[in-house]
Amino acid sequence: MSPDSQQDFALAFLSILFEGVPFILLGTLISGFIDIYLPAGTMDRFLPKNKFLAVLSAGLMGAVFPVCECAVVPVIRRLVKKGLPVSCGLTYMLAAPIVNPITALSTWKAFQGQGAAMMTSSRLLLGFLIAVAVGMIVSKLPLASVLKAKLVASLEKENEPHHHHEHDHDHSCCGHDHGHDHHHHHEPAGDNRLVAALRSAMKDFVDVAVYFSIGVSITALFNTGIAPGAQWLDSLAKNPTAAPAALMVLAFILSLCSTSDAFIAATLDKFSWGAKLAFLTFGPMMDVKLLFLYQTVLRKRFIVMLALGLFIAIGGISIFWQQLLFEVK
Amino acid sequence: MNPKTRRILFSIAILCWSAVLLYFYSSGRINKYLAPDFRPIAFAGGLGLAVLGLFNLLTAGQKADCGHDHGEGEEEHDHESGDLHPVSALLLMMVPVALSVAWTKDEYSAAALGRKGLYDAPSAITTPFLASAMPALTLEEVEKSHRKTADGFLEFSLMELFFSSGDREMQTLLDGLKVETEGRWMDEKVRNPHGTRKRLYRLFITCCAADSRAIPIVLEFGKEPPEFPENGWVKVAGTMRFPLEEGIIQPVLLVERVVAAEPPYEESFMRKK
Repeated sequence: MSPDSQQDFALAFLSILFEGVPFILLGTLISGFIDIYLPAGTMDRFLPKNKFLAVLSAGLMGAVFPVCECAVVPVIRRLVKKGLPVSCGLTYMLAAPIVNPITALSTWKAFQGQGAAMMTSSRLLLGFLIAVAVGMIVSKLPLASVLKAKLVASLEKENEPHHHHEHDHDHSCCGHDHGHDHHHHHEPAGDNRLVAALRSAMKDFVDVAVYFSIGVSITALFNTGIAPGAQWLDSLAKNPTAAPAALMVLAFILSLCSTSDAFIAATLDKFSWGAKLAFLTFGPMMDVKLLFLYQTVLRKRFIVMLALGLFIAIGGISIFWQQLLFEVK
Repeated sequence: MNPKTRRILFSIAILCWSAVLLYFYSSGRINKYLAPDFRPIAFAGGLGLAVLGLFNLLTAGQKADCGHDHGEGEEEHDHESGDLHPVSALLLMMVPVALSVAWTKDEYSAAALGRKGLYDAPSAITTPFLASAMPALTLEEVEKSHRKTADGFLEFSLMELFFSSGDREMQTLLDGLKVETEGRWMDEKVRNPHGTRKRLYRLFITCCAADSRAIPIVLEFGKEPPEFPENGWVKVAGTMRFPLEEGIIQPVLLVERVVAAEPPYEESFMRKK
């Protein structure tokens, strides 16, 4: 890299880093405290019994229990094993990284001067609708086609009549009862739990910071024209179909955290508003790191179908939304 | 790696990030990276990281209990294991930041500025916010709202001169007017067959330097221009013209005097709240 390229990379890298880090810290602190202080059974107690209402509620639960996409998969795995309906679990998993106050705040801040209110509301609405649609589809599918065989077996074992029950609830949204023991005893541990919460926050921060650092490096290379494909990417920017597709692929590769990805999207100034919306909605639902995390819960075939479905649905809606807002007079 | 060592490594990484944020904020260099409303947020982030890192460093050896078990047959009870090996995570966090701190000169090179619109015609800058950032001017207001120098030049910001080329009314108003403005000195690489031109620019930052755009005008000397360092600050006075060149209206200042200048406190134009 030439000295000029080094100085350009450094300026772009540090500016995006300075802008995004406080929001990552805020998100991971909240996530750390939720991890330690929130009982795992809290969320399913919030859900209504009606299938549709339960899925809708799951789509909004990120507003109460904000977690980013890195943290949500282990949480969902635990909650599904403890009886949260799979349709609700997947809805929450896809919606929570987007439909939460930290992501809304960071998107609004990052898009100041670029239609911040419209981008933030569009992102939250699209994220919510897509997640609910996926949840409704999943509620019609047999568990075995969605979850990993091991997890299904574990759930079936939990439902056997001889299993020890402390209490039962009716999760009618997946059509059957889950009787189970939450085994979630909280002991007063005083200051130790604060230490545990801040350790969990530190771990979350480092996990996110690593991906953010890689993502910002790649973005800085494209932003300043150092990356070999920068000109090619620019050439796609004005194509109404290719631009959202290209940014969704970029979001997939960059694997950014939803609490900070808006700061990167806002710098992609050659791309249309709709393409940035696609980037901000697709990325928190499907990226390289999520691909690995999803495999701890979901069947590979389901993940592939989910990825394709999200790509087509989010791309299509973003193109339509762009045309509706900016190109239809 | 044992948990205590991992915690120490992660705490050090977080403290290093904190130190970078706090250093750039306290030295004032952050002004060249972030818009004003993001600077206190960055400072708060730096302080927060310092608290998180120090707390975890000081309690690295302490036994902690989250206060709940995770049920029989559940996954391993662990709130600390990350996605990557701790050393890999540390390197991925530290290397890009360390290199950037070492490499940065707090400004872009000419090549990157070209990508950020230094040589674009004003009509190619389509960001609506930029146009709306220019104050509304009328013929009567020009004399009132702009100071006059001792030798009779009206002081204009580069932003006003740049956007006047996209507004026919403003062009009529400013065409032939004697103005003084300030900005950074750069070679003119387009439409400069006789080598008599330079470019004057400032950056416009919406949120951070990565999303900045160059706001340039052309300086015409009619002879070989004087020498100033590339990216150096200058004050230029002359007569404003808007010639049609290759089908594009260009804001061109016919220079009568140019002197080196101190950089202003805010070197870039910033989005107003």
